[in-house]
Amino acid sequence: MLAASVGLSVSTSGCLRHVRSIVNRNEVEQLSLTITTLSADGDRESIQLAQDIGATLEAAGIDIEIDMQSREAFRRSILINHDFDIYVGRHPGDIRPDFLYETLHSKFADESGWQNPFGFTNLTFDTYLERQQRAGGEEREQAVNQTLEALALEQPFVPICVPHEFRLVRTDRFDGWKQGHLATRMGYLGLDPPTTEEAVLRAAHTDSRPSQNLNPLAVEFRNRGLVTGLLYDSLAVPRWSEGGTDAGDSDDEEPNGIDEDGDRTYSPWLGADWTWNENENEDGDERTENGSGIDTDLDPDADLEPTGTLTVTLREGCQFHDGHELTADDVAFTVDFLSDTTRDDNEFPAPSPRYRGHIDPIADVTKQGNELEFTCTASEPVAKRVLEIPILPAHIWGERTETASIPAITVADGTTEALITDNLPPIGSGPFQFENRTQREFVTLERFDEHFTRRESVALPEASAETLRIRIDPRSTSAIELVETDEADVTSLALESYVVDDVLEAESEREQISDSDPLEVIESSTGSFYHLGFNARTAPFSNPRFRRVIARLIDKEQLVSDVFYGHARPIAAPVTREWTPDSLAWTGTDPETPFLGTDGELDVEAARAAFEEAGFRYDDQGRLRVRY
Amino acid sequence: MLTQVLVQLVVVVTLMIAVSVALFVGRHRLRVTRTEWRTRLRDTAPALAVLTTVLLFNSIARQIVPDLSWMIGWNLTWAIYDIEGQFILWLQSFETPAVTAYFSFMYIYGYVFALTFPVVAYFALADTRPLRELLAAYTLNYTLGLVLYVFVIAFGPRNMMPELVEALLYDTYPQYQHLTRQVNRNTNVFPSLHASLATTVTLLAYRTRDRYPTWFYVTLGLGTSIALSTMYLGIHWAIDVLAGFGLAYVSVSLARVLVDRWSVSAWLASIRGRDADDDCEVDSSSDHT
Repeated sequence: MLAASVGLSVSTSGCLRHVRSIVNRNEVEQLSLTITTLSADGDRESIQLAQDIGATLEAAGIDIEIDMQSREAFRRSILINHDFDIYVGRHPGDIRPDFLYETLHSKFADESGWQNPFGFTNLTFDTYLERQQRAGGEEREQAVNQTLEALALEQPFVPICVPHEFRLVRTDRFDGWKQGHLATRMGYLGLDPPTTEEAVLRAAHTDSRPSQNLNPLAVEFRNRGLVTGLLYDSLAVPRWSEGGTDAGDSDDEEPNGIDEDGDRTYSPWLGADWTWNENENEDGDERTENGSGIDTDLDPDADLEPTGTLTVTLREGCQFHDGHELTADDVAFTVDFLSDTTRDDNEFPAPSPRYRGHIDPIADVTKQGNELEFTCTASEPVAKRVLEIPILPAHIWGERTETASIPAITVADGTTEALITDNLPPIGSGPFQFENRTQREFVTLERFDEHFTRRESVALPEASAETLRIRIDPRSTSAIELVETDEADVTSLALESYVVDDVLEAESEREQISDSDPLEVIESSTGSFYHLGFNARTAPFSNPRFRRVIARLIDKEQLVSDVFYGHARPIAAPVTREWTPDSLAWTGTDPETPFLGTDGELDVEAARAAFEEAGFRYDDQGRLRVRY
Repeated sequence: MLTQVLVQLVVVVTLMIAVSVALFVGRHRLRVTRTEWRTRLRDTAPALAVLTTVLLFNSIARQIVPDLSWMIGWNLTWAIYDIEGQFILWLQSFETPAVTAYFSFMYIYGYVFALTFPVVAYFALADTRPLRELLAAYTLNYTLGLVLYVFVIAFGPRNMMPELVEALLYDTYPQYQHLTRQVNRNTNVFPSLHASLATTVTLLAYRTRDRYPTWFYVTLGLGTSIALSTMYLGIHWAIDVLAGFGLAYVSVSLARVLVDRWSVSAWLASIRGRDADDDCEVDSSSDHT
């Protein structure tokens, strides 16, 4: 009996093992992916790009679905919850390539915000980024080139194009629109006439989010922070360098009223003056001897030696809109707060989703009266990014460190009050202060007369209008109409590409008729770019070979003409022209991942061959199959 | 700009109603209405009060519905697009400036007229039941529509395929954007309230065809034009319009059942009767809800 059962179990176990080894093999399924993007009301170009790219992927045998979301929901899925396969959208970008550090370094893969939403982790890549972060002078340029070339090879995201930005302005009430960039606070300061009592500057804004939330840290609600930039001051204002612009007339880009003081990258703002002291022990020789960079780079866990100190002298007698004095304490608080909004080492840290890269190289802050000393672990140009952060009043934000709570609902760790507050009314120290708002209708800002730019002794562009009324108008066409009918002075966000040709045509017609026409089209350069992001946390998007083939299915040149009507610059490197290495310069086609096809028409056979070469398989119905 | 558009809307619709009153209602009915308007108003007051409350609530709820939807709703845009795909494109292939002008007019003016004229026309009837059914059906449309809006997130065709489906209304007549965004959110397209309310009017017109025979044929044209306009202008999917038809049918049927079920006036009368005469019996079960 026993022997029989043993015998039986032996024989069945052998059989079972055979069955198990067959059954336990997961099915290789058709690749089915969701492209997350914005609705046309949110970003017209994004959904068009997603549709075009989706059609190409379908031709290559991939089952696709497009998930359209609103502006906030999109940012929440991508930047906070990392809940996507691939997405198409606009990256705020920057005029200098230093943002790549937080965008791609693996130590940020778990954070929310524009820091590494892709979950891209690659130790070799990290060393390139660290080298770029710490290198100065010529070596910095090399390091940036190396990073960009590695990026083109790995394709953690596919940079698509940099759109040209056009805005329509009226010059009969205010003029001098070209003095500052209209996507930044400087575009709305220093307008002519220099001071107009009771005059209202009227902006038509095609995004309703500023009327709902004015929290400078809320990544879901901010693009490049124009409105919060008017409400909050930074220590300095980045200058748009010449030659790196995408617009034709780059000569007009330089902000006026700022004298050359040796720093070509930043002009003074809340910080009146600053000096950089390079540390002696971290000299350039040591690095170059090593060949490919700093030796500590090879050990990802090594603590970075400080490279120098940045000493900033704060302008005296500045105050916040509520009358509190703005001191060095507030600046030190802000730096500390951005790195952890709980301000408590014991709690689950909650770094700010914005300005994370700006404060990352700051190892320590010491203050003495009006002077702040930042100990930095990066080279001078990178360390100076800290000058761009908005200075928050410590007496308000210091109380927003608690984890937000809703009765009976579990709130994710690291969701502090600071990150989710709508921050209304916002109390900053900027040239404008908040007056009122109606959701989805308007936001009204009043000039802050105590602002330092209003002082006789300060020669910086100041607010000329007493009131800035931002009227929310959802579409470019109706925003244009508001400017044309003298109900607005400026379209504060760039016009959608599909209306640009009409606007330019109308302008050239007007020029022929009369010279005194008050309407003017302003083209400005930008560092912002459209891209396709992969969620590299999951297969097959974690596979660089897969990502490279996808990149080759995207005809950037064709997309620029179809979606942007030619008003964009196709790119292989997500930086301004000035920083693009020669090896990645656009040559009519992508230098690294050329399109598999011609004129937007995919060569399906070539695409299949590329996928097969990358190790993927097709079934007999032409469907791409992958193991998840 | 909004005021300008609104004034224009009021003037045009008032003119349309004036002409229609002359055509469909007639002098006789108006004369009777002048003598009976008090009692008719008292009879319809409860239905009117409910509708007003729902509309007020609706305007507040609309502020929070999108937030609520993004938390609990299903995003059905892709599913809808996957099913019907190219229908809207086909419809838009008939585009000419004249057709666009016609459908834009129908979408804005035709719609407001179709909703307001029956109120006037039914008020001119001695029997207040059609008017009460109309108001109840409107109420149901808005209430059930709002519930669906909470659970379904769907963007319209113009949001999905901006380059193919031209947002004809907003690009040809940008000023209307100011008007429609007061009422609509871009994620609230399923079902089409334009289609459902226009169909409601048509269904009720069919039931009152013995009293307003020509009006029924007019509503057929109006209803069809309005339903087509929402699709032609790229605002709704065909599925939204079909759902709108369904919602209209449900609302009208329910209104028919519900109207006269509870009579507020009888209840008031009974209270008054009790005050006057203490031993009056009150059947509380059928009076008050």
